[in-house]
Amino acid sequence: MADIGKVRLRVPTSIKPGDVVQVRSLVIHPMERIERDAQGKIVQKNYNYINKVIVTYLGKTVATFDTTQSVAENPFFSFTFKATDPGQLKVQFLDTTGGRYEGTADIKFS
Amino acid sequence: MTDGYLMSRRAVLETLGALGVAAAAGGLVVGAPKTAQAQALGQNESVEDAMKRLFGGKPIKDGAAVIKLDLPLIAENGAVVPVSVNVDSPMTPTSYVKHIYVVADKNRIPVVTRVTLAPEAGRAFMGANIRLGESGDVRAIVEQSDGTLLQVKRDVKVTIGGCGG
Repeated sequence: MADIGKVRLRVPTSIKPGDVVQVRSLVIHPMERIERDAQGKIVQKNYNYINKVIVTYLGKTVATFDTTQSVAENPFFSFTFKATDPGQLKVQFLDTTGGRYEGTADIKFS
Repeated sequence: MTDGYLMSRRAVLETLGALGVAAAAGGLVVGAPKTAQAQALGQNESVEDAMKRLFGGKPIKDGAAVIKLDLPLIAENGAVVPVSVNVDSPMTPTSYVKHIYVVADKNRIPVVTRVTLAPEAGRAFMGANIRLGESGDVRAIVEQSDGTLLQVKRDVKVTIGGCGG
């Protein structure tokens, strides 16, 4: 699982100023599920899963996802933002073990 | 002078006391799941409890006219179910969609995700891959900036559950 934390962002190739752009993001992460013992009781431990995804564009937070373990392994999220100026789009994934994975994309107008 | 000294001494002691209490509370939490903050959203509970916790007693209106919830009718593999929510709503600083919740009724952790949007998002949209434990309703609940709650529901058939256990 050396790939944990690999982030991929897909941004459309041609963006015009003022467009509402849909971005797809993916992170490689196990998103551990709750384990149960033979009696059906939940095993208490610190499960490693992503609980926050923060999307920032030009330094401003555009969207925040608070996620739970009901989100699939290698979570995929898509969202939109309004492209006003060229700049950096950053997506940060935070997990319950303190892991922080991020991906960036430069928004340019063509 | 003495008074000032006493006061500060008391203040110091109070601070220490408060710290002690905090430390004790912290110590207690260690036994429970460490991720108390993360668990606040995703708890093992029934969907009724989850709704009560998230929205209190606030009325939830039917939002079929504005919310478009995209889900497969039959999810062959419950471990990965693509879902997207698109809300037909203005996104201006005065009127916008503040939160989109995705709730899976039959999951042990019903609240799948809560998306917080800013007006800069341009469109109230979210997409994600979620897990579904078994067939049942999936809801999308939209909270607008004025506090109005709107909801749509869709029934999904799941062939293989994706939540294990």
